[in-house]
Amino acid sequence: MTLFHFGNCVALAYVPYMIFYKCSGLSEYSAFWKCVQAGGAYMFTQLCKMLILATFFPPSEIPMGGFDVLGEFMKSTVDFADLVGIHIVMSRVAGKGQLKFMVAGLGWATAELVMTRFLPLWVGARGIEFDWKYIQMSFDSNISLVHHISVAMLVWLYSRSDLHKSFIPIVMTLLALSCYRPVIVEILIHALGFGSWTLLLSKALFTVCTGLIALQLYLGMSSQNANSYY
Amino acid sequence: MQQYDLHGSQHGCRSSLVNMEARPIDAKMITRRCIVARLLEITVAKYRELLTENAGALLVLLPQDYQELSADSRKHLQSLERDLLMEETAIPVYFATETEELREIYEDIKRSSSTDQAATAVEALLSAATANGFQMVINGAQSKSLSDFQITNIQGHLAGFGIEEQLPTVAIVAHYDAFGIAPGLAQGADSNGSGVIALLEIARLFSKLYTNSRTHAKYNLIFLLTGGGKFNYQGTKRWIEDNLDSSETNVLSDISYALCLDSLGSTDELYLHVSKPPRDGSAGGIFVESLENVIKTYYPEVTFKVVHKKINLADDTLAWEHERFSIKRLPGFTLSHIDTPRSDDRNTILDTRGMVDEHKLTRNVQILAEALARHIYNMTEQRNVKLFTDTLAVQSGLVTAWLDQLVTHPRATQLLGKDHILLNSLEETMNRYLKDTKRTTLRADKRDPEFVFYDGAVYKMSAFNVKPAIFDLFLGLAIASYLGIMYFAAVNFSMVSFMEIRLQMSSRTLERMPIS
Repeated sequence: MTLFHFGNCVALAYVPYMIFYKCSGLSEYSAFWKCVQAGGAYMFTQLCKMLILATFFPPSEIPMGGFDVLGEFMKSTVDFADLVGIHIVMSRVAGKGQLKFMVAGLGWATAELVMTRFLPLWVGARGIEFDWKYIQMSFDSNISLVHHISVAMLVWLYSRSDLHKSFIPIVMTLLALSCYRPVIVEILIHALGFGSWTLLLSKALFTVCTGLIALQLYLGMSSQNANSYY
Repeated sequence: MQQYDLHGSQHGCRSSLVNMEARPIDAKMITRRCIVARLLEITVAKYRELLTENAGALLVLLPQDYQELSADSRKHLQSLERDLLMEETAIPVYFATETEELREIYEDIKRSSSTDQAATAVEALLSAATANGFQMVINGAQSKSLSDFQITNIQGHLAGFGIEEQLPTVAIVAHYDAFGIAPGLAQGADSNGSGVIALLEIARLFSKLYTNSRTHAKYNLIFLLTGGGKFNYQGTKRWIEDNLDSSETNVLSDISYALCLDSLGSTDELYLHVSKPPRDGSAGGIFVESLENVIKTYYPEVTFKVVHKKINLADDTLAWEHERFSIKRLPGFTLSHIDTPRSDDRNTILDTRGMVDEHKLTRNVQILAEALARHIYNMTEQRNVKLFTDTLAVQSGLVTAWLDQLVTHPRATQLLGKDHILLNSLEETMNRYLKDTKRTTLRADKRDPEFVFYDGAVYKMSAFNVKPAIFDLFLGLAIASYLGIMYFAAVNFSMVSFMEIRLQMSSRTLERMPIS
């Protein structure tokens, strides 16, 4: 529509990241450069994923509007590479556990935001045509911030040796769920005929649930750790 | 809408670019807005009102199926077409067939403008914020004049039996272009697709007769398809001038009459328009007589009349094509089912395929061929001979096919450049039946052009769904408050989690206390 509308969308998409950076204490550790490195790792991982997808997953001949559950499922399986990437990033970052996954999650999410959201916003939201989808896209980026941080948190939890054994299945399930989130979303679109707003809402709910469980696990563990210092 | 200059006076739209918000025709504020209106909402008075109120552009939605229009609305559209083209206008006027999407847009803007009259200021503000506007955009260059435009005539002939130069000649003439308020919508099935088809059929039938030495008549036949017929018969004019002046051909010196065909595709009436009634016994008189006989004997359902109208030299334009011949003192007449040259039926976008009844067209061609044959074979005495039967009959399948072919392209004059596919296929067809088929082109005089055409017949208009600026402001406020909430949540989140840790820690220490 106008530059003002574009500004609105960008503010909605980016300001939460800044708020998170400022308030989570990352700025106190001057972890900016590490976040950038995490972003670089994101790009590299995406490249690897694309290579794998292009090599091993031939384009399936599906008519437009059709939906290939198995193919999408297989493609989402490749997203486990993301988890590996996040793990590598975290193993490189020296520091407290809290710092590790925050840096990894924030860097990852920011890189994704810049890579996938900025250009559509620039092209679309400045255009003459008004569409709610740019506002939705900005909201979606907020959700994916939470999503990536909770994924990083889960990966970190999984890599810990002192995680209580009974929690491991929960962590595994949550990780798998986060990986297959795109497939689940697709199925929801096709099966239930979700509109864009309900879809956004369900995504938000799903992400918040994952995030809360991960937070609970993390808090339980950090209190354990804190405990052990006594 | 059409844009052309004829004899120095300008007609039609002078601009083509649109970038404005859409409004219905009854909106209060129309200055610099694009008015979207259905055909029946527009009257000439309303149109003038729009002009004086500085409307930015006009988009007229035409009904999808012209056949369903009532006779009144047909008349309405035709008179609108004539009146809008009387003079030039500064604002762009577009015509579009109403599709599902266009109807939605139309109803949307209709609704949003009805909420304009809100009771309170708050209501007005709210409705302004939630309003759904449309921005109509046509980009591109302003339409330019086609300075090099060439009007094409196609001619071919069948030579008579004997020494060609000494035989009398009959010319059969039809113009092939169409006219309508929007050049891209001018199909012109009846005027003058039917005339072209009649000419081609007669050419086909007589070419068959002329190849057989026993039926080779002592008459030369010239077939001429002219361009620019809707623009004062420019093609015919030039062709006559060329052939009168030139020394090598004496086509026009021996001409018995020129038979012009215009609109033959419907109704049970046939009118022969003449500028000067042909004398009894002259070639024209014999033809008229045999035409009357054929109709009386075989087609009693057809009413036939000779209409005599003198050429009005004070008029800007000539009424019928034969007047081009009559002005040069050559005998000529036009056959048509339309009784008066003032009829709007010949210059309308309503003239579509559905307007032409191919059976009637076939019948009219048959009448014409019979009458012509009676004249050139000198058979006016044998009243009960029907020549064109069996293998020589007019093929209605061919007529239908040609009709379908002719309406596939809009045939406004400015769209039929010299390499147009339709001209090529017409020439090819004539070449198959006739000898010496050739095309001649003419272009307007550079300094004092008789006609100027402009490019641009079909445009693509985009409608963008837009929100008013006030909506952006509201959205900005909403986003700002959302971000504020996020900020406080983040600040408090660290506090909450910190407190939770504290709580858990203290509970654990409390638990441990008694143990230690």
